[in-house]
Amino acid sequence: MWYKKEIKSVSKEQTAFLNRLRKRKHAVHTIQWVLLVGFFLLWETAARFDWIDPFIFSQPTRMLNAGIQMGKDGSLWTHIGTTLWETVAGFVLGTLIGTLTAILLWWNRFVSNVAEPYLVVLNSLPKTALAPIIIVWLGNNQTSIIAVALLTSVIVTVMSVLNGFLQVDNEKIKLIQIFGGTKAQVLKKVVFPANIPCILNALKINVGLSFVGVIVGEFLVAQSGLGFLIVYGSQVFKLDWVMLSVIILAILAALMYQGIAFLEKKCLKWQQ
Amino acid sequence: MRPIVSLEDVSLRYHSINGETLAVSDMCLFVQEGEFLSIVGPSGCGKSSILSMLAGLIAPSEGNISVNGEIGYMLQKDYLLEWRTIRNNALLGLEIQNKLTPQNIAYVEELLDQYGLGDFKDHYPYQLSGGMRQRVALIRTLAIRPSILLLDEPFSALDYQTRLSVSDEIGTIIRKEGKTAILVSHDISEAISLADRVVVLSARPAQVKRIYDIHLTTDEYSPIKAREAPEFREYFNAIWKELDVHVV
Repeated sequence: MWYKKEIKSVSKEQTAFLNRLRKRKHAVHTIQWVLLVGFFLLWETAARFDWIDPFIFSQPTRMLNAGIQMGKDGSLWTHIGTTLWETVAGFVLGTLIGTLTAILLWWNRFVSNVAEPYLVVLNSLPKTALAPIIIVWLGNNQTSIIAVALLTSVIVTVMSVLNGFLQVDNEKIKLIQIFGGTKAQVLKKVVFPANIPCILNALKINVGLSFVGVIVGEFLVAQSGLGFLIVYGSQVFKLDWVMLSVIILAILAALMYQGIAFLEKKCLKWQQ
Repeated sequence: MRPIVSLEDVSLRYHSINGETLAVSDMCLFVQEGEFLSIVGPSGCGKSSILSMLAGLIAPSEGNISVNGEIGYMLQKDYLLEWRTIRNNALLGLEIQNKLTPQNIAYVEELLDQYGLGDFKDHYPYQLSGGMRQRVALIRTLAIRPSILLLDEPFSALDYQTRLSVSDEIGTIIRKEGKTAILVSHDISEAISLADRVVVLSARPAQVKRIYDIHLTTDEYSPIKAREAPEFREYFNAIWKELDVHVV
């Protein structure tokens, strides 16, 4: 069989090298898990032995109980669903509108020259400072929260995607023109496809930014959502709710990031 | 016979913030159908500008340019689009010109098969060697069935070994397909080995300094064999002197 021959041809040094690599990877994973489990165990122990006050620090078992209880009465799922929907709407809209704006600015360099200083200033401005204004304008509702999430990600998307568009090799654009291609074809055949990695990267960054916008929005106006649960829990001193929400947020953010990383891998099979 | 390409008293000026540059001055040049013309000149003398004008990418400031045929243009690098397969890269020109007919697609498939890329049609550019990529670029150019090929130092991105074999290959393909070709190069040997005529340009502003008719005695034509012809060295020395290259 060919594969047996293949295995035989691997030298001793190579096998040792591969084993070392495998061991190292194994050690990294083990320590990561030990740290995670150890953290929660220490937290639990500290609370049980009254080294910390579980009333203000909460404790893993209390969080778990709170989670099970809220899961049973369904309120936990409503909160998660609300935040998830707002975040997804925020980063999808932010990426979409940002990319469309970047296309517009690429198309018309005069407009982009005019817009440049405004983009720079808006980019450095903390967008959450605009949240109260948005709420006054759009009302005490979910639309405002999505708008805040969108605002946090849209400007940085415009800037990074436009930058990607402008960095496309001029000779590749010339290639399209040589065949008599129009500006729309330059965009469709070269500039846009060359920047799909850049847009997917923007999408990844926007997941995090959109969460910031949603949580701030929920702090201000919401009646449900994890941000609401955090604020409400801290006001009524239900730290179990607060800590639980933070942990769920961390898990959601990680899952979404992984989802986009997966999408990236699917879309970019032409890369080495 | 009416020339297929002619430049009459063509001048070109570039404008920038720092002022005006005369890149090409009063150039006259005629190319006959089926001819392989090489243009050599000191670097930065405006050789590429001449090709850009012929391709209609920039307009001359003065003078007349007439081109009687479809132009195919090969750039300095292959510029294959990384996200397209080899087949789709080769079809790019047809796609842009809305000529994706079954016959044209079959023609491209045939060219790919014929020039050793048949097994790589569904591969991506990063999986191919430099020489193969250059061949794909040539097929992409040939796909639109141009009668005139413009070659802008198309081998300059390759290492010397690959460059020799690719220029041999591509030169042979162009002869075989019976195309008119205009090659811009700074490599004197390459220019002589491929061409029927070599045009030597002056430093900027580019003007025709001298034209050499190349007659090499070889049994069978191939650019690599051409380098072994007894006359090769004489042409090389003459053009080298004409170019007046100063080694600093």
